[in-house]
Amino acid sequence: MNREDAEIKLKRVFGLDHFYDEQWEAIRRLLNGERILMIQRTGFGKSLCYQFSATQFSGVTVIFSPLIALMRDQVKALNNKGVSARYINSEQSPEENSSTIQDALNGKVKILYIAPERQENMEWIEATRKMNLSMVVIDEAHTISVWGHDFRPAFRRIINLVKLLPQSLPVLATTATATKRVQQDIEQQIGGKLTTIRGLLIRDNFRLYVIKVHSEDEKLVWLAQNLNHIEGTGLIYTGTRVDTEIYAKWLVANGINAINYNAGHDADTRKDIENGLMQNRYKCVVSTNALGMGIDKPDIRFIIHTQIPASPIHYYQEIGRAGRDGKPTTIILFYNESKDENGIAEDYKLPIAFIDGARPSKEKYLKAIEALKQEPLTERGLMKATNLKQTQIRVIKADLIDQGIVREVVNGRNKILEYQFGAKELDTQSFEDLRIAKLKDLDAMMGYVNTTKPRMEYLCKFLDDDNNVNYSNCDNTNLEKLTVAFTDKWQKNLSDFRENYFPVLEVSETSSKTHKPSNIKWSINIPFDNKIDIYKNDQLFGSFSRVIDWDCFSPDEREFVEPLLESHLVRKSHIVNGVAASYYGVSNVGSALHRSKYENGGDFPDFLLRLTLKAFRKTFGNTRFDWVLYVPPTHSGDLVKNFAVKFASVIKVPISHKLVKSRQTSEQKVFQNGWLKQDNIKDAFSYLSPEEINGKRIILLDDIYDSGATMKEIGKMLTAMGAETIVPVAIAKTVGGDI
Amino acid sequence: MMENELTYWVALAHTPTIWTKRKNEIIVYCFNHGKTIADFFESENFLGMELKQEEHNLLMQTKNELANYAFLVEELLNQGYSIIPITSNEYSQTLKTNLKYNAPIILYTKGNKQILQEKAIAIVGSRNANDRSLQFTDNVAKKASSEYKVVVSGFAKGVDKQALDSTLNYKGQSIIVLPQGITTFASGMKKYYRQIIEGDVLVLSVFHPKSPWSVDLAMARNSIIYGLASEIYAAQSDDKGGTWSGVTDGLKKGRIVYVRMPEKNEKCANMTLINMGAEAVDMDGNLIQQKAEYELFGIESSVMAESTLSYDTLDERIIELLNNGEYTAKQIIEILHLSDYNSQKLSQRLSKLDGIQINKKGKTNKYSLQPQKQPEQLSLSL
Repeated sequence: MNREDAEIKLKRVFGLDHFYDEQWEAIRRLLNGERILMIQRTGFGKSLCYQFSATQFSGVTVIFSPLIALMRDQVKALNNKGVSARYINSEQSPEENSSTIQDALNGKVKILYIAPERQENMEWIEATRKMNLSMVVIDEAHTISVWGHDFRPAFRRIINLVKLLPQSLPVLATTATATKRVQQDIEQQIGGKLTTIRGLLIRDNFRLYVIKVHSEDEKLVWLAQNLNHIEGTGLIYTGTRVDTEIYAKWLVANGINAINYNAGHDADTRKDIENGLMQNRYKCVVSTNALGMGIDKPDIRFIIHTQIPASPIHYYQEIGRAGRDGKPTTIILFYNESKDENGIAEDYKLPIAFIDGARPSKEKYLKAIEALKQEPLTERGLMKATNLKQTQIRVIKADLIDQGIVREVVNGRNKILEYQFGAKELDTQSFEDLRIAKLKDLDAMMGYVNTTKPRMEYLCKFLDDDNNVNYSNCDNTNLEKLTVAFTDKWQKNLSDFRENYFPVLEVSETSSKTHKPSNIKWSINIPFDNKIDIYKNDQLFGSFSRVIDWDCFSPDEREFVEPLLESHLVRKSHIVNGVAASYYGVSNVGSALHRSKYENGGDFPDFLLRLTLKAFRKTFGNTRFDWVLYVPPTHSGDLVKNFAVKFASVIKVPISHKLVKSRQTSEQKVFQNGWLKQDNIKDAFSYLSPEEINGKRIILLDDIYDSGATMKEIGKMLTAMGAETIVPVAIAKTVGGDI
Repeated sequence: MMENELTYWVALAHTPTIWTKRKNEIIVYCFNHGKTIADFFESENFLGMELKQEEHNLLMQTKNELANYAFLVEELLNQGYSIIPITSNEYSQTLKTNLKYNAPIILYTKGNKQILQEKAIAIVGSRNANDRSLQFTDNVAKKASSEYKVVVSGFAKGVDKQALDSTLNYKGQSIIVLPQGITTFASGMKKYYRQIIEGDVLVLSVFHPKSPWSVDLAMARNSIIYGLASEIYAAQSDDKGGTWSGVTDGLKKGRIVYVRMPEKNEKCANMTLINMGAEAVDMDGNLIQQKAEYELFGIESSVMAESTLSYDTLDERIIELLNNGEYTAKQIIEILHLSDYNSQKLSQRLSKLDGIQINKKGKTNKYSLQPQKQPEQLSLSL
């Protein structure tokens, strides 16, 4: 096909008049069965290269993409153009994924997006044996390079697959961010006859700022003062999940329409927030960097980082999501340069911690290897055998597979890890090399913070984009530097906010059932003592205060939902979401607890009681309770008991000392993963006078809330004794196991 | 051999309907033209090889499915299975020598591949073996292990399992030849996990990795077991079934099979096999040479009846034998147990056979197959 013919088709299907030269170059080669690596900035039109080509092939084009949001957007857009596109990922139900696979097998799908993790899925693997495949695309191809900034182990399999694909099958790899080193790595990994098409990476509509501050407070204050003055809607990236929550709550408290988004949210919540972002429902979404990659929104007007990313590539990638429409876009990076007693800048600590914590110690690797030499194990089995955290086990597993020391074998529905005969010794040198490379990248990021040169020039040079372009448009060239106006009034605003902000303990259970004829899923959740939430297809249908207003329901709906509610009350635990006074690591609460618990510091100080009471009253102030119970200690010690006695006397609810351990348990914090924690406390509690519990409303106190396993276990037991409601209250909630 | 050629190998191996022999001819053709199997499939016209229309269609079909095979190969490699093409150095030389053009195109394995390079014996026998047979199996496995020979068996009940367990008990090494695809062997993999990861067991299959167990595959596996071994011991055979057909087939192909000499009234077909030409061995697997020794077992040295040979013609057996190399008439008589022939009589018969050539070595004549029946290139390339 020549370019003229192709552009006629382009006009007809995609409504565009012309290809860019580089697009046509890629398409021409793909149609000729070649392999292409395309490095072009975000917004260039890389996806058109595979979308157009796919429409010219007889079979299916499979696109491996790590970006679920992108899949959703592109599939919708393609279907609107009459191109049959579908996706397979964890957001869809197994049934939906199955039907997509069937359609692909039956030749009803032209373009199929799939998450690389699916390569592990048996149904997909079976289907690949019969599908009529025409082309394979690897989106965000930098993720297949360990030298890339976002290496994903699941992509390792995609590389292996590409190596095995027949030579004449067209393959396209695309990325917006690749240094020469990453480029060479990708070229080498994909192998075969590969042509690289590399474009200019400059984004000249970006207005780049760095704001140096001297405390976390200054960041919060600047945002509260200025965010509503920035035009349009955008994103704030924080370094941790907890910060997404704190920043969003703070902004809302200051009249800014913000919401937090992180990987801890379920798929429906995430989808809803993403839709909200697309429809400009929020001024800003506060997120970890899980959001935004691949969101097809051309007019993200600002991206603000409250923490420095790990490297200039990360930064370029993350800000690259903004301003695709080419209009002026504000890009701000905060950096807290105040130093601790060791002379280390506060904002340098988190990225360093990520680098140092990227890999568990060698001993933990050896422990896992030893366990697998004894017997083949599932991931869960390996966690139990080694008492390692799931996050650590996943890293270890990926590395051991990568080094060929273990393999994951599919056995029916299980995936089993097997040690391999003749496996090499664990190679930790490669970990060390990678660590050093990451430290260098972080230093380069610091270079961006401190540079006096044009900031875009700095980023492009780092990406080996050497071009004689006149860079400007930043606070080192033509734009004024931004500063923070910190006043006493704002200081007070902040303290008020902190003392009224209490983390939720999420322990309540949900019941779901699908009404078969209509295929509508109804769910019931009782999050708080006086609340009943009912969801229809995961959309909140109604939130009722103890009494359900059945007039909202059609008679048929009522007939279906009522028994579901009854069975929820009978079957599910009556424990509801509780509240903690603070996060463990965020304030002085953690250190106060630690002094009392581990440094013989005596009873918990009174300010903890005040804070806990405040948190409790804010959520449960209007509820009548019958008993205060507290979690019995693992070893001797009356800290929690004494605290509970005081708590009970203030709120004038009788205290009971009859919740006891029926067998010895170990301290929960000894156990590094949820499975072992659950095992540790299963059936470990009893209540000495069960008849006292029937029909009662109970407050369950503990000092530190970690996985929630203990509270849930006790909640289950009290429910079985007839408790009406159990409300968990803790002094502090941990963040990702920080004790 | 590059790993990225595996897709083409697996695709060729599982192209339906075309016989293994023909597939090996394709491989030899590629070799002779200095090309790879990848080149064969990627070229416009299969490198100009002369193919029947039907073969051409089947191979075109396979060509269209190459991407699908890529997914399969990736899955297998990811799960730690090895895929060994017939041209690989890792392929069993013994298997190639024994089966020639009928050697499987690829082996799927898990475990210590080095075992394929060791000298190996096979122990075969009934699923419902008696105690004597199991004892015999144990003795032979013990001896083999002490001589650092690998024991090949088929992972069936009875003799097979005994062969495996005894070998491992005596710290020997073993090859399990599966009657199914290699990915469908989860329970066995689990049971012999330690031995596999410690390098004492190699699991091997020549079938499609996803094939479930079947009678056909169990039968087809026998020739692989025989092929992998340089010595074959049969502990116990009924007069039908897997062991029977395996041993008779082996004899037909001119393999030497050592069969346990049965006791006087033992219910089994061992003696029939011995009468058909198998070598009789004692409980320790040692050859029973003399008629007198036969009589020690209280068995009359029955003369091999012509009728037992009726399952095959003598000419075919001779050609099968000459597949392995060149022999004198006397050697042929010995190996094939042709008690009613002498050298002169056999020589006359040989001279009338097509495709056989006489090589004069001093005073004696040696017989072998004419070159076109056994191309030199095969041994070069395979």
